[in-house]
Amino acid sequence: MRRVAELLSLPVLIHLLVLRPILKLIFGVHVEGRDNLTRLEQCILVANHNSHLDVLLLFHVLPARRIRYTHPVAAHEYFSRSRVLLWLADHLLQPVWIVRGDTAGDPLEGMRKRLAQGHSIVIFPEGTRGQAGKLTRFKTGVGRLAEGFPEVPIVPLFLSGPEKALPKTESLAIPLWNHVAVGPPQRFTGTAETFTRQLESMVRELGESDAGGRHRRLVRARRVPTLAVLGIDGSGKSTLSRALAQCLSPGARACLVTDDVEFFENGEKKDLQPLLAERLRKSIGRSAKTAGSLKSYKIPKLAELLLRDHIAAEIRKWYAPDVIVMDGSPLLNVAAWAKLYREDDFDESMCRSTLRVLSGRDEAVARDDPVFAVFPELAALKRFRLTHLAVPDVVLFLDVDPAVSLERIRSRGQQRQVHETEEKLGRLRDGYRMVCTVVERDLGTPARTLDGHRPLVEVAAAAIEELRRAHVTTMSHLHGMSEPNAAMEGGADA
Amino acid sequence: MVVEAPQVTIVIILAMLTLFALTGKRIGFPTPVVSYLPYLGTFFLFFALSELVSFAVGIWVMAILSFLALREYFTLVDLRIQDRWGMLAAYLAIPFMFYFIQIDWYGMFIISIPVYGFLVIPFVITLGGREVDGTVMSIGALDLGLFLLVYCIGHIGYLASYSTWMAIFVVAAVAVCDLLAWAFRARDREGIESVAYQLLAPAPVILFLAWLLTPWTTIPPVHSVVLAALIPALVAVGCHTMDHLEADLGIERSRLQPGRGQVINSLKSYLYVAPVAFHYLRYFLEEF
Repeated sequence: MRRVAELLSLPVLIHLLVLRPILKLIFGVHVEGRDNLTRLEQCILVANHNSHLDVLLLFHVLPARRIRYTHPVAAHEYFSRSRVLLWLADHLLQPVWIVRGDTAGDPLEGMRKRLAQGHSIVIFPEGTRGQAGKLTRFKTGVGRLAEGFPEVPIVPLFLSGPEKALPKTESLAIPLWNHVAVGPPQRFTGTAETFTRQLESMVRELGESDAGGRHRRLVRARRVPTLAVLGIDGSGKSTLSRALAQCLSPGARACLVTDDVEFFENGEKKDLQPLLAERLRKSIGRSAKTAGSLKSYKIPKLAELLLRDHIAAEIRKWYAPDVIVMDGSPLLNVAAWAKLYREDDFDESMCRSTLRVLSGRDEAVARDDPVFAVFPELAALKRFRLTHLAVPDVVLFLDVDPAVSLERIRSRGQQRQVHETEEKLGRLRDGYRMVCTVVERDLGTPARTLDGHRPLVEVAAAAIEELRRAHVTTMSHLHGMSEPNAAMEGGADA
Repeated sequence: MVVEAPQVTIVIILAMLTLFALTGKRIGFPTPVVSYLPYLGTFFLFFALSELVSFAVGIWVMAILSFLALREYFTLVDLRIQDRWGMLAAYLAIPFMFYFIQIDWYGMFIISIPVYGFLVIPFVITLGGREVDGTVMSIGALDLGLFLLVYCIGHIGYLASYSTWMAIFVVAAVAVCDLLAWAFRARDREGIESVAYQLLAPAPVILFLAWLLTPWTTIPPVHSVVLAALIPALVAVGCHTMDHLEADLGIERSRLQPGRGQVINSLKSYLYVAPVAFHYLRYFLEEF
């Protein structure tokens, strides 16, 4: 009788009458080795993590009487994005919250407390949802947790299917089967480190035994490497990027995206069919160049950069080049320009958040992150899903003193743009430097700084040397790179 | 409501199938048969509902069966992440097509998937993302699944709207072919021997069945003879085709789990028979 009463709480009824039928009937769940779990009173569930469905699947496998006494470990900032989500999670799953980046408290403390009460813990030792179908290295927290409770059995599980039914990058769930393989319960042995590795290999083995014999599409690995040349106005980055596109083009088709789109094959410039977005970008670019103040410069410039990113994607589709050389990178330019607009607030951590949001890798950026308060534009971009800007594969920063660059701009004799003063260019230069540091450290893209005071031929030679050194993996097919020479188009400019 | 002999027969068959499906494992039926019986039972649930309640209710059993088959197919086939909207569109085609069956709109039913479905789905797939690699494969894979597991299966539903007993005869004939094939291990044999077991063994049984059911199906003897020859041939062709597909999808006949080929393997014999038998019977319908 007491058992029945235990089941009659609202969260448990929702689990049994709503969540489980939905999972079972809409998505389909197949559990293998459920017996490993039914007899256990208290346990630590350890599983791979690919999707939001994972935790619901694990609750699906649990015996009904254990639902109220099981707590998944969840990152608070993810759920704090939405109050409804937080409330639902709090009531239905009763998670142990951990705060990422909180170094003051012991993150395992909450779990230890629950285990000491005789409750169970669900833990994803990969830390975050990993790449679909790939198991990343387990963090040793699970080993250290188990060390303190050697009498609590640890159950390894492998989930397959959720990475397709509700992948990390998508918000639309599609009805597809999910499979849960439950491994035999384990007892803590050895050290935290060895036990964690042991669990990792057990989960991997479960996955391999379960996922065997599945159809896999043959993948044609073809990624177009993108090379971005950064620099303040007048640093000669347009000239350098044109020179690079020409140097790369023997043996590979290179596409240059600057104020115009140009295509180089065997060192020759080729005619292209015009892209629709390209015309639009040019007219917007013109209105940005004639802007009277930084404020009226902002929106057209942003639109121009977004279109430039779109054009790079279109080029991949229509012209199929082997390499794209970009004069500036929409993603990094926006981030560096932030420095120009808000010099005081914009530090490295904010730069990191900005880059993450703009490149669509923003799982770890909470909705109330200060970056959204400082740059309301960023929230707007995110809302309109304009935040999947491409991350370049190599970044070259052409570093020039603002005074020198201003002199070059004057000698061109064109109308000066609103930000082309020594003070503002100096700030922009700091912005680019910071972006290069962050991009190299956080996004793992090699970013190299070149001295822009030297003549073009030397700079181009140095740039190619850097490309060879930094980019052995993705640009290995570019054997035919020719050496830059003085007769190169536009060489007189520098 | 007056319950008559045909309805009693359907209920008895359904009850027996349910009983065997539940106890099959304990009685010692071979595994493929145990996983086959629930789906055969589902067809009879559809027949029982449309005879005893109404066709408008029963037909949705077939819609759910189609959904289960398509879901399993999409789980097994390796589609790209950006094909998700295409998958959703394919799922949404199911209620549309079965609604056309329910309201007996033949013209729309027959073009719903092969015309509108196959025009809309490629478009939806191209809206899903910028990646172009593999688009042709994805469209092909999605369309094939929708065609075989929804459109072809749907013909059994439409046949039942003309005459439940004609549909029962076709389903029972296919079941005879399958069960005899297992009994004689016909599909494991090779060459002429396999052909003989698959084509000649079921034909007399189907003919007997046709004669037995004639008062209810009203199929004239000459057409019964043609169908008794046609159905085993179509089952053999369909199974041969589906065997290749299953092998590519990673379905192992020795390890049929839910979500890993159970539905597709159980329905594969119906896929070729359903549309052909439907059109054959429809063409000669006025004679009956």
